[in-house]
Amino acid sequence: MARPNSCDIFCAVVDNYGDIGVCWRLARQMANEQGLQVRMWVDDLRSFGKLCPELDVTLEVQTCRGVEVRHWCKTFTVVEPADLVIGAFACEVPKSYVEAMASRHPKSVWLNLEYLSAEDWVEGCHQLPSPHPSLPLSKYFFFPGFTDKTGGLLLERGLLVRRDAFQSDASAQAEYWQCLSLPPRVAGELRVSLFGYENEAMEALLSAWEYGSQLVTCLLPEGRALPQVAAHFGVTSGKAGDVWQRGNLRVHVLPFVEQEQYDLLLWACDINFVRGEDSCVRAQWAGRPFIWHIYPQHDGVHLEKLEALRQLYTAGLPDEAALAVQNMWLSWNGGQGVATAWQDFIAQRVCLARHGVGWSQRLSKNSLALNLLDFSRRTE
Amino acid sequence: MKIAQDLRAGNVINVGGEPMVILKAEYSRSGRNGSVVKMKMKNLLTDSAKETVYAADDKFEQIILDKKECTYSYFADPMFVFMDTEYNQYEVEKENVGDVVNYLADGMEDICEVVFYDGKAISVELPNTIVREVEYTEPAVRGDTSGKVMKPAKLVGSGFELPVAAFIEIGDKIEIDTRTNEFKKRAN
Repeated sequence: MARPNSCDIFCAVVDNYGDIGVCWRLARQMANEQGLQVRMWVDDLRSFGKLCPELDVTLEVQTCRGVEVRHWCKTFTVVEPADLVIGAFACEVPKSYVEAMASRHPKSVWLNLEYLSAEDWVEGCHQLPSPHPSLPLSKYFFFPGFTDKTGGLLLERGLLVRRDAFQSDASAQAEYWQCLSLPPRVAGELRVSLFGYENEAMEALLSAWEYGSQLVTCLLPEGRALPQVAAHFGVTSGKAGDVWQRGNLRVHVLPFVEQEQYDLLLWACDINFVRGEDSCVRAQWAGRPFIWHIYPQHDGVHLEKLEALRQLYTAGLPDEAALAVQNMWLSWNGGQGVATAWQDFIAQRVCLARHGVGWSQRLSKNSLALNLLDFSRRTE
Repeated sequence: MKIAQDLRAGNVINVGGEPMVILKAEYSRSGRNGSVVKMKMKNLLTDSAKETVYAADDKFEQIILDKKECTYSYFADPMFVFMDTEYNQYEVEKENVGDVVNYLADGMEDICEVVFYDGKAISVELPNTIVREVEYTEPAVRGDTSGKVMKPAKLVGSGFELPVAAFIEIGDKIEIDTRTNEFKKRAN
């Protein structure tokens, strides 16, 4: 078919902000960079509102940043389907809408945007059709990923240029820290962002920082990791603006921020702890050493996914640095010995920072949004 | 109705009104506890084959075809030949055997089910669990009886290789789940 003009994105918010975060990025890229008319159907506007503060969660239809946002209710009133239809993360697109797609001329191109994984099998499933059991319509599975044989990653136009400009501009960084009410950096200080789920290794890591020889400033966005960090300091809860200090560890609790603001945090910090899918990708665009807390799954299958990315990411690194990444990631994902792993990881910081920039450059050649458009053009 | 996760080589399903025989089904764990099944299937009306992928919980109408219990006899390229209890022989094309080929070996005694469509043998199904002997594997790792550490092992007869528990030795008989090609346990 010709280049699509319109795009419907369906997003069912499962938990946290991963699903909606990815969909919101994709929607804005499709609308603002690729010029498509984008409608985004979201079943949970309250979660969405955390990422997009200007959203009015009481409205059924509204436009935000060039994207038409629709509340996806159980009673779905059928509309004319778009040229390109994306169901995110295997969400169930309404039956009436699917029937409308099947009878449309030309038919919509229907994609299921899958979860991100670095595992080998993804390449073999990427772009395969999923013919509907009863309608003359195929859905296609589209897998984001880290290799040329996958759908690539979401990357906004000019993001790496903006990142480089920020990271090479000391005054822009100083201004940013000031915005967060942080004092200027002191010599030898390490600034770390900490975004994660509840973690058995948290207490050991915080203790390692507290009793370590280097001043660690930990930037902690509000969320699931906050109660554990608060407990370390003997307080029952915390909120944005709180600052706790003990030994060589100082924690600043930050508000949950919009995606662009979170990018700045990742760019500004020396090391980033990230979780799930979206922030993991953003940490890779930041080019700084990062530690991934993967979304835990039954039967430990997430550890295979962790290892798959670890293998790709550390390919070409010196053995010591690769081992440091392996040990740190494993210890942060249910393993043991996080304090030792941290020391080894931090010792490789310069090497990992250099590697991170090259890694992000390599990944940037495979844009998910462009691949989606290219695929829809080639699909009848 | 059957969900994609439960489909296996030899099953026939209705896709868009056409009978499709599953030649191969590979299950993979996706994110957030979701799963996908990559399937190679062949249209029984047109003989055209294609690769597809489905969410593991996608539902399909299964077409129940005639089946006959048989045992494997021999391979006459490109046909695998099976025989029923009345000594009738049925040929199944190599292409249609799918993953079953991993376990076909001369002298095997497992009762297979040959599947027929319009009078023609189109596929074969194995029992969910079969027992096979290990022809070669690296020496057993002492002390590890957890079954969590895996190593490759080659089967007698077919030469198929699959991961088995580290304590398995050459000559051991093992139970295998033919739906997933996974080692289950050492057979008694």
